[in-house]
Amino acid sequence: MRAGLRRFAANRLAVAGAVVLALLVLFAVLGPLVYPTDQVTTDLASANLPPGADGHPLGTDALGYDNLGRLMVAGRVSLLVGVLAGALATVVGTVWGAVAGYVGGVVDAVMMRVVDAGIAIPAIFLLLVLSTIVRPTVGMMIVVLGLVSWLVPARLIRAEALSVRTRDYVVAARAMGATHRRTVFAHVIPNTVGTVVVNATFQVADAILLVAYISFLGMGVQPPTTDWGAMLNDGISFIYQGAWWLILPPGLAIVLVVCALNFVGDGLRDVVDVRGRAA
Amino acid sequence: MRTTQAGRAARLAVGAAAAVALLAGCSTSSGADESAARTDVSYALPANATPNWIVPLGIAGKLATHNSAIIRTLWEPLVAYDGSEGEVGRVADADLADEITFSDDGRTVTITLDDRTWSDGEPVTSADVKFWFDVVRASTDVWASYSAGRMPDNVTDVATPDDRTVELTFDKVYNPEWLQASQLTLVVPMPAHAWAKTADDEEADPALAETEEGARAIFDYLVGEGEDLATYADNPLWQTINGPYALTGFTDSGQVELTRNETYDGDDAASIETVNLLPYTSSEAEVNAVRSGAVDYGYIPTTGLDAPEQYENLGYRVEPWAGWSITYLPYNFNHPELGPVYRQLYVRQALQHLVDQEQISEVIWKGAALPGYGPVPQNPESDFLSDEQKDNPYPFDPEAATTLLTDHGWTPGDDGVLECTDPGTGDGQCGEGVEKGQRLAITILSQSGSAETDNMFAEIKSTMEQAGVGVTIESAPLNTVLSSIAPCEADQPECDWELPFFGTAGSWYFGGYPSGERVFGTGAASNFGSYSDETFDELMHDSTESTDPSAMQEYSAFGAENLPVMWLPNPVYQVSVIKEGLEGTTQDPLASFHPQRWSWAG
Repeated sequence: MRAGLRRFAANRLAVAGAVVLALLVLFAVLGPLVYPTDQVTTDLASANLPPGADGHPLGTDALGYDNLGRLMVAGRVSLLVGVLAGALATVVGTVWGAVAGYVGGVVDAVMMRVVDAGIAIPAIFLLLVLSTIVRPTVGMMIVVLGLVSWLVPARLIRAEALSVRTRDYVVAARAMGATHRRTVFAHVIPNTVGTVVVNATFQVADAILLVAYISFLGMGVQPPTTDWGAMLNDGISFIYQGAWWLILPPGLAIVLVVCALNFVGDGLRDVVDVRGRAA
Repeated sequence: MRTTQAGRAARLAVGAAAAVALLAGCSTSSGADESAARTDVSYALPANATPNWIVPLGIAGKLATHNSAIIRTLWEPLVAYDGSEGEVGRVADADLADEITFSDDGRTVTITLDDRTWSDGEPVTSADVKFWFDVVRASTDVWASYSAGRMPDNVTDVATPDDRTVELTFDKVYNPEWLQASQLTLVVPMPAHAWAKTADDEEADPALAETEEGARAIFDYLVGEGEDLATYADNPLWQTINGPYALTGFTDSGQVELTRNETYDGDDAASIETVNLLPYTSSEAEVNAVRSGAVDYGYIPTTGLDAPEQYENLGYRVEPWAGWSITYLPYNFNHPELGPVYRQLYVRQALQHLVDQEQISEVIWKGAALPGYGPVPQNPESDFLSDEQKDNPYPFDPEAATTLLTDHGWTPGDDGVLECTDPGTGDGQCGEGVEKGQRLAITILSQSGSAETDNMFAEIKSTMEQAGVGVTIESAPLNTVLSSIAPCEADQPECDWELPFFGTAGSWYFGGYPSGERVFGTGAASNFGSYSDETFDELMHDSTESTDPSAMQEYSAFGAENLPVMWLPNPVYQVSVIKEGLEGTTQDPLASFHPQRWSWAG
């Protein structure tokens, strides 16, 4: 454990990523407690104020919402959807891949063709089609994003499972009468956890980006709920008016959180990767 | 979300595309120097609103203004009204009528036709006018401009004494101004020698339209052909035209190419060789095209009015395009659950009190929309406008709204949304048909693609929810909205829409005479919400039969006070940006574009 932490700490970008991520989470979760604003009721009398005006450090948007406060509540949605959708994708993908890799044969072939078919359909296409049918809620976005994002982890874990299933401890467990279910959940999946954890960080980052894409295209959550992508979409009309405070902060937040998650993922890879490590 | 590499590649691509667009914008040349050599114009269609109809027989969901404008470039109407010359009036150069003479008793109008030919060389005759009447008369149940008792019901006889004369006899005396501006403008002579058939491989037989069955079969055939958008550019039917342009390109995505009709022999000939109508999925995408110089005649968001010089520096002039229109949300009075709620006047009054039209117009639309309180266009003011409408009977007043609802048996539920707790028809009760436990939770289906529209409904949602009215906002492209809101009965499954919005560029544009029988008349095809009120119907009839301005004013007052729809701020058709050097672009308050009048300077 300590050695793992040392290896993580040796990756300065990973440490910086973890710090940025922690700060953004604090900003989104605790920020509204420190800096409470009304993000439900519009206030047209205070619309389109520049930073600093009338006690709004980051100005207001076209509906009079305080932009700093909105950045906080939008962060909650972006992070919540990203983390939970990433977690859902990881769980589904891990179980699917582990079962396919462990069982092998026809079952593996069928399960992986399902994955191949799913990967052939762009997730953004599916999401946009769905958005035209129903206006997504936060819960629905988590489920839908999770269900279109499990395919890559399924492939990765399946590759790991193909290797793990031939290991002595798995063979021994089977010889001692362990069921297939127990073998998969107690021996195969725990021994792929490194890959799972590293991939999960990328899944979360990608889920946050997908949420931003959908919202940027105007098909995200219902107002007054918002996320960073929706804030960008709202601000885009003002791009030529020099209203940087409507575009830069949410854009920067998305870039920071995605980069931070990628750096953390790289750091975790260093922790679990045995290659290049002294014997 | 497949791989981070793919994600990085996508981000790089977006960045590269943005840089290219930026460079393109910087390097775009402007001014009139180059304009003299140009023979084409690129015109931006409204965001997320693609053309989907070119047949001069409108059906439900196909009456968008850009469809009508395209149709007018291909087939000239019997009588043309527009505002392309500065004020709304008849533009004789753009129609097929030569002289229009009303009889002394006001019951008959005699119209002589211009000496014109179709593109295949056949003459335009009075039989083509009668052909239109025959076909439409047999299809009033689906013709979208139909209103019971009006065109074509009010024409009892169509006589064709010779090839160039048509005599129309009306069932009674009407206001001639209304007849000419609102009824005769609906008539679009059609080539009977080419269209009087019911299958592709048939020979046209004009006699077929003389029976009701035959005329209906022709209507169905033409509409069926019209549904096949992919064949618009090459279907032989649509090649027989008499307008200044021919349609030479039409893609599924809505891109249209109009080419000058070399066989045109009227007085409204085109100067520009090719007009490209370009579709965009959002106003932001269109603005990017404007900034890159890819659009000659486009539009910008109202926020652009804060700093017009940024477009002027790119070689455009900025001109808001105001329309002779009204904007509203129709209530679906036949909605199975909420129809009885919307039928209560006090509910409509409460909801109207919750729309802050002044603030929305000023802040969200940046002054590019003006408040509208009734069925008569308020800008510019006219003799048709009543004091009641002008004075806004239901100003923004959330407290009054709450009082109206709570005084009629509505109580906030656990989630704050009002519920009917005192059903019944007595004083202080919810009203006829409203059941106990009915929630006042409404759904607005809004056209997508406009930040101003999105913000307007976000503001309305916020205000209404504070007053206990639950609001869900759904959005869809304009064509989707229009095609899903046909008048319906409560027991029909497609009657589940409630409050549709199709007014980002104004909901309804009038001809020269702003009577509302096509929008609010009982049974009218464009009366989407099935509003029906005997008094209002009578006032509409009076307004079309009397020359006394007070008839229109009474109609205006009734519509303002009885709220057949929810009145909303009326936006300009668009804030136009027009390339310097492009002339003849007087913006028609009827929201039609007339590319045949455009030309490049020099």
